Amino acid sequence: MARSLAGFLVLILAISICDAASIFQPISDSHRSAALDLFKPVDGSFASLEETYEALRTFEILGINKKPDVSTATCGTVSKALSSSSSTPKDLFDALRVNSILKCKINAEVFEGIISKLQAAVSGASSLHDFYYSIGSLGLIKDQTSKADLHLSDAEGIFRSIKALSQSDGRWRYSSNNPESSTIAAGVALETLAGVVSLASSEVDQSMIGIVQNDIMKLFDSIEKYDDGAFYFDEKVVNVHEHSGPLSTSSSVVRGLTAFTTVATGSLNLPGDKILGLAKFFLGIGIPGDSKDFFNQIDSLAFLESNRVSIPLILSLPSTVVSLTKKENLMVKVNTVLGSKAPPLTVKLVRAYSTSSKDTSIIENKELSFDPERVVYFLDALPDSVDVGSYIFVFKVVLHDSERKDVYVTGTLTHVQIFLTGHVKIGNAEIAVLDNDLGTIETQRKLDLAGENAVSLSANHLQKLHLSFQLTTPRGSAFKPHQAFLKLRHETKVEHVFLVGNSGKKFEITLDFLGLVEKLFYLSGKYDIQLTVGDAVMENSLLSEIGYVELDLPEAPEKAPRPPPQAVDPYSRYGPKAEISHIFRAPEKRPPKELSFTFLGLILLPFIGFLIGLLRLGVNLKNFPTSSVPATFAILFHVGIAAVLLLYVLFWLKLDLFTTLKTLSFLGVFLMFVGHRILSHLASASSKLKSG
Amino acid sequence: MVKLCVLIAAVSLLPILCLSFSPDNPTDRRVLVLLDDLSLKSSHSIFFNSIKSRGFDVDFKLADDPKLSLQRYGQYLYDALILFSPSTDRFGGSLDLAGVLDFVDSGHDLILAADESASDLIRNIATECGVDFDEDSSAIVIDHKSYAVSETEGDHTLIVSDDFIQSDVILGSTKVEAPVLYKGIAHSVNAANSLVLKVLSASPSAYSANPSSKLSSPPLLSGSAISLVSVVQARNNARITITGSLDMFSNRLLRSGVQKAGDSNKYSKSGNEQFVTELSRWVFHERGHLKAVNLRHHKVGETDEPAIYRINDDLEFSVEIYEWSGKSWEPYVTNDVQVQFYMMSPYVLKTLSTDQKGLYHTSFKVPDVYGVFQFKVEYQRLGYTALSLSKQIPVRPFRHNEYERFIPTAFPYYGASFTTMAGFFIFSIVYLYNK
Repeated sequence: MARSLAGFLVLILAISICDAASIFQPISDSHRSAALDLFKPVDGSFASLEETYEALRTFEILGINKKPDVSTATCGTVSKALSSSSSTPKDLFDALRVNSILKCKINAEVFEGIISKLQAAVSGASSLHDFYYSIGSLGLIKDQTSKADLHLSDAEGIFRSIKALSQSDGRWRYSSNNPESSTIAAGVALETLAGVVSLASSEVDQSMIGIVQNDIMKLFDSIEKYDDGAFYFDEKVVNVHEHSGPLSTSSSVVRGLTAFTTVATGSLNLPGDKILGLAKFFLGIGIPGDSKDFFNQIDSLAFLESNRVSIPLILSLPSTVVSLTKKENLMVKVNTVLGSKAPPLTVKLVRAYSTSSKDTSIIENKELSFDPERVVYFLDALPDSVDVGSYIFVFKVVLHDSERKDVYVTGTLTHVQIFLTGHVKIGNAEIAVLDNDLGTIETQRKLDLAGENAVSLSANHLQKLHLSFQLTTPRGSAFKPHQAFLKLRHETKVEHVFLVGNSGKKFEITLDFLGLVEKLFYLSGKYDIQLTVGDAVMENSLLSEIGYVELDLPEAPEKAPRPPPQAVDPYSRYGPKAEISHIFRAPEKRPPKELSFTFLGLILLPFIGFLIGLLRLGVNLKNFPTSSVPATFAILFHVGIAAVLLLYVLFWLKLDLFTTLKTLSFLGVFLMFVGHRILSHLASASSKLKSG
Repeated sequence: MVKLCVLIAAVSLLPILCLSFSPDNPTDRRVLVLLDDLSLKSSHSIFFNSIKSRGFDVDFKLADDPKLSLQRYGQYLYDALILFSPSTDRFGGSLDLAGVLDFVDSGHDLILAADESASDLIRNIATECGVDFDEDSSAIVIDHKSYAVSETEGDHTLIVSDDFIQSDVILGSTKVEAPVLYKGIAHSVNAANSLVLKVLSASPSAYSANPSSKLSSPPLLSGSAISLVSVVQARNNARITITGSLDMFSNRLLRSGVQKAGDSNKYSKSGNEQFVTELSRWVFHERGHLKAVNLRHHKVGETDEPAIYRINDDLEFSVEIYEWSGKSWEPYVTNDVQVQFYMMSPYVLKTLSTDQKGLYHTSFKVPDVYGVFQFKVEYQRLGYTALSLSKQIPVRPFRHNEYERFIPTAFPYYGASFTTMAGFFIFSIVYLYNK
């Protein structure tokens, strides 16, 4: 639970950060437009009667005229729910609530039927919700039908049985057999008791009302508080149920409380600051995005606005940033929580002090003037002694009509943080390069920090860079901004930030490069100089590119720190890569075809010469065997040789080695056989010739 | 009996599995939102409603809920996690820092928003994702030049920024016209981490410091080095958004008008709603999720995919790329998809031409180097999921009979052989039978 409270606190702090001085704005037009966004009927009606009521009630409170028209469709649902016999008290209650706003035409007999049913339900009720719905319904019927004779028969008995569910710490139980007590239930019970009192035929015993009022006081003892002055109720039991956060709990209590104080005669001494704190809590939520939360917020604020005990008044400022240069006035508004007009009153500025020195007040006890046209209170003129800066202004609201002091609560003092802004004069800005030993000025340039500058300087590691300027507030005193940075940016995007210090009015910084070489990572080259001067109250905060300084630094020693890696530009990292195409091996160089064919022709010449030579020699074939067998062998032998040669040609043209060798082996054997036969025949023939 | 139980479990898990994140349906379905406080549900309802209206199943839990758990029986119960619980020191249940990182490591998405109260746990999660929040826990981003003109906030911590990343896929094709309101802490992205991108940067005059105390030393983060919103796309395509402002998502800033100091342009509505909605679309994979299918290649003039290529073959390559639109796969059209023919290093790198319907194709000649090659499509673009496909294919040299056979240059040699052969034939006849 502590965690969730802390979360809520953070939320509220986020809405207005300065914890000591929060401003709560009353409900405004942004709530109205948000309401129309949140409550959007689907096909002319809302999902349930409960939701319809929440929407209609919100529209009614906020005074929204352009609300969606749901009456035709919803009235049908209402009369159906009212006349149906199976409707539970809750259905009846929701239907009657919707009817109280829409004012549908419902037959009087229908009401008669419901009244008897509800009366029976009241007498048979055991749990708090049974009482709540049936008594609430009866109350609504009484209002809608102007039946003066509608009474609860045994009001005191019912009162007692509801009271029996209460606990000693002011909280209530939902039913007698459920031991867990709840703060929401307390609100529900108070609302029910209020209903009982208004429906009672005779006056309810004053002592009993006194006891209940005592319970309320006890309940307020358990109220919790934020640092910014907002009060709220929360369930003590951790229950991650949908709608049991501080908002719905506080809202339930506020509803019960206001309902009860409306009917109860006795006076209830509730502390005004807690009522105001509750109002601040509801306003501090801002604009909830959930329709249930939105309804709870608006409904509770409406009850707070119209309650009988104390109506909170909210002091708000249209603007907490006031320009001294433009001579703006400090304006204060006082409204009720829903933004309507407050009774005549005076707003006093009790004191105002600077956030840095709390003890010295700059303004004390000043009454704000009233502008009836704009309905604002304003501070005529700030005294001349007030300079730019952030201040806490302490306001007090005093009602004119002292009788109404009891009706309205305004809180004691309201602390508001105000920023008084102004145009700060910048002067005597100059930048110089100094020689280290003597401090003599080598180059010096005047700067116009408000305008454009393009200074180009150069320095080495034995020199110094000096920058100085003056800041003066509109009132003529020295101004110390929160942000006074000198930035040196190297070409490689390595940045160095230096704080510019001040001595009195003058701001100056001297960069001794000899001591900075390590910090600058021994990076020589161009450094861009950028000066930033800014403050929350300075209207002319500036970011000025002064120019650049060309630094000549010594070489980095081996152990010098390396500059940090700089982020790669994401756009360049993801682009497409350069295309690559393969470079193929170049084909071998060949002579032209003509040359090859010429040489082929030349190669053929010796063969032709050989043939011509043979013819010239007069060769003959007289030695060819004449008998048939050797002649056959001779022919076969030469055919065989021709076949082998042809095989070689074929080998060249198409055959592979294996086919060729296979064929060649057959041919070879054949050739050997026929060759042997013919050669031996020729040999024997020639030897015969020799011997013969 | 055991089998039956397993079957029943499998059948009952089936619908859950079907609905969850899958390669065919990459949009997240189930989102867990961890809050410090349930009131955030109401104060940030516009953002949550926009997620719900896009069909997500959003589950809100307190960050210290004792029953908190991201997975059950090894199955993740959620596809995405939104951490809107900046001040949580410890998560409830079994969840811890390692649990969140495992969730991301298994490809799930994360949105993390911190604020001034950011706890060490939240800072550590961010650091593990490559984003470093300012170490000074009291520092917030201040900008005296580009702050939002406001009647009630005078300390210039509600700043405006319009320094968006130039990426249609991350921020949608509609330009964010109005600047974004920001109130929170600064962070810097780790320069060594190439997966982190600055989506929204601060202006050059911004710095990170405690507004209520005087500066004694230069701020750790200043200028455009300050990142306001960063995104990470991990190598497993898990997407992470990290920001130092929880308020950025709040109804208050979403509804608020915006005017930058010194700028006369006044926008009736800040750019926050469009910015956070578009960013959440990207994080939840409703945009920029690519898939590549049907990687095909074949020789020119053929249609079947060969088992091997020969050097110097001409081939045609094609691949289809689709982008997930949140509901269906739409053709992805661009002109910078490239294919590599790769062995140790790319031999060919060629930009594919597209038919505007998701089909990318090209043709090229196989290099005259043999070995085992790969077709590689490596597509990494800003904001898109990375595509990395490869298909192995061997390349062989010429076979012995595939070389050229009748080279004209060699004809004189052939002529010489054949004339010698003819001469031998004639000579053998003449020699044997001449008388």
